Amino acid sequence: MASSLTVANVDAGYAAVRVLEDVSLRVDAGETVALLGTNGNGKSTLMKCIMGIVRPSAGSITATIDGTAHELIGLSTEAIVDLGIAFVPEGRRLFPKQSVLENLQLGAYRPKARAELQRNLDFCFETFPRLKERKGQLAGSMSGGEQQMLALARALMSAPRILLIDEPSVGLAPLLVSRTIDKIKELKEGFDLTVLMAEQNFTQAIRIADRGYVIVHGRIAFEGESAEALNNNDLIREFYLGA
Amino acid sequence: MNAILSGLLLGGFYAAVSIGVAISFGMLDIVNIAHPAFILLGSYAAFIGNTVFGIDPILAAIIAMPLFYLLGMLVYQVYYVAFERRDDQSLRGLSFFFGLLFITEVTLVMIFGVDYRLVQASYIGDKLTLGPLELPFRLLVPFLVSMITVVGLQLFLSRSFLGRAIQAVAQDQLALRLMAANPIRIKRIAFGLSIATAALGGAVLIIIQPVEPSIGREYIGRVFAICVLGGLGSFSGMVIAAVTLGVVETLTATLFGPSWSPAVSFGVLLITLAVRPNGILGR
Ligand SMILES: Nc1ncnc2c1ncn2[C@@H]1O[C@H](COP(=O)(O)OP(=O)(O)OP(=O)(O)O)[C@@H](O)[C@H]1O
Ligand SMILES: [Mg+2]
Repeated sequence: MASSLTVANVDAGYAAVRVLEDVSLRVDAGETVALLGTNGNGKSTLMKCIMGIVRPSAGSITATIDGTAHELIGLSTEAIVDLGIAFVPEGRRLFPKQSVLENLQLGAYRPKARAELQRNLDFCFETFPRLKERKGQLAGSMSGGEQQMLALARALMSAPRILLIDEPSVGLAPLLVSRTIDKIKELKEGFDLTVLMAEQNFTQAIRIADRGYVIVHGRIAFEGESAEALNNNDLIREFYLGA
Repeated sequence: MNAILSGLLLGGFYAAVSIGVAISFGMLDIVNIAHPAFILLGSYAAFIGNTVFGIDPILAAIIAMPLFYLLGMLVYQVYYVAFERRDDQSLRGLSFFFGLLFITEVTLVMIFGVDYRLVQASYIGDKLTLGPLELPFRLLVPFLVSMITVVGLQLFLSRSFLGRAIQAVAQDQLALRLMAANPIRIKRIAFGLSIATAALGGAVLIIIQPVEPSIGREYIGRVFAICVLGGLGSFSGMVIAAVTLGVVETLTATLFGPSWSPAVSFGVLLITLAVRPNGILGR
């Protein structure tokens, strides 16, 4: 069943600082959409707005989960996650003093996910055999790449319909970046997800994205209806690829 | 030999009075120095149950536990609204719990006076003799109650969804929200549980020794020392620390006289922390 996300005319910021201006985007059912932009342009802020961590001053954010529409603005973060929207935040935010397995079990806290715990755990261990080998290790002592995998797996343990990922590539070696991006595609297909992914790494993101938006200074500067459209855009050349 | 044994049993009792602090201080980062006052409240609950209704002190504590749980939730809610939410919990929060300690003590003095109170139970004077070993029930019952509580709580914390969230809540509240859990609710429940254990701790205290309203103060230092010694957040470490302290104190008292016990226990604390800064089993 269809799950999608629509952001319409959102303004947001921190105290007196205005960060997002009139941002609109949509992620249709089953799509992977890339939110592209360099440092400080507002990618994380937009994701925080969707997750109820930052409250927009104007606009609306609607999620349709399995055919039912919900207005997200005004809901608490835990209520939004409980609807079936999972978020892998900047900095991963694992529980460093809990083991890998405990982190994954915490991911399934949502009542709807509890019943599926074993099945989702098996799937995560199958996708990330490394996590299975290390399931007793404390999350805080894992390598950066392993932590990124754990963060992704933990988000999936909540059995989401929509997945938001903030810069999966950050801090990873080039080879690991492409492997992580491949894993996201694999997970998306395995769980039949709708995905919004913020990334600076344009070339990697575009490999798995169906469409993309470029955000510059808190505004959507370009909307690419396909990977090719993004690839051939002047703005991207200018802002992104430095050409 | 019997000194070591009674030290072990005494350690079990220390674990019962420390487990609440192992939750509030060790897992929630709440410096509840009023915990011994709640323990005393538990002692007097057992006392009332025993003298007025004639029931076993442990049973009285079990009956009182739901009330203590609610009281704990209420105390946390006040603490949260007045201090934690404003992000300046450390010092002013400490004065809140100090005030709570003081108020509870004064209230107990007004109701029960300053006389020592004790409870009656058929087993209190008896002892179990195993060859050369003597196990007084007065120490054995508290030890068993304590171990059952520790094991039960440990299972709850490691096996249930709620328990795992309690263990994680002090590490990262936003991350917990992203798991669809409300951190304030989790902390409220956990603090309620920590105060509920004080009902049991109080009952075993009044079985071991007669109680008057100010003796809670004797336990503040000891209880926090046990939690730090064991490693914050670790129940098994806490039990090891409690038992170690029980044995060391009893041996010191037998060999050098009771006045040396506190000095030796804090000596043990300092030496352990010098060797293992995170405590015996700290993560
Ligand atoms: N908590 C905050 N308080 C004040 N300003 C903030 C806060 N968080 C972000 N900002 C500001 O908002 C702007 C957008 O930040 P944001 O984190 O959304 O960017 P980003 O696109 O995710 O960047 P990056 O790629 O570096 O993660 C920046 O100018 C930043 O300084
Ligand atoms: Mg960011």
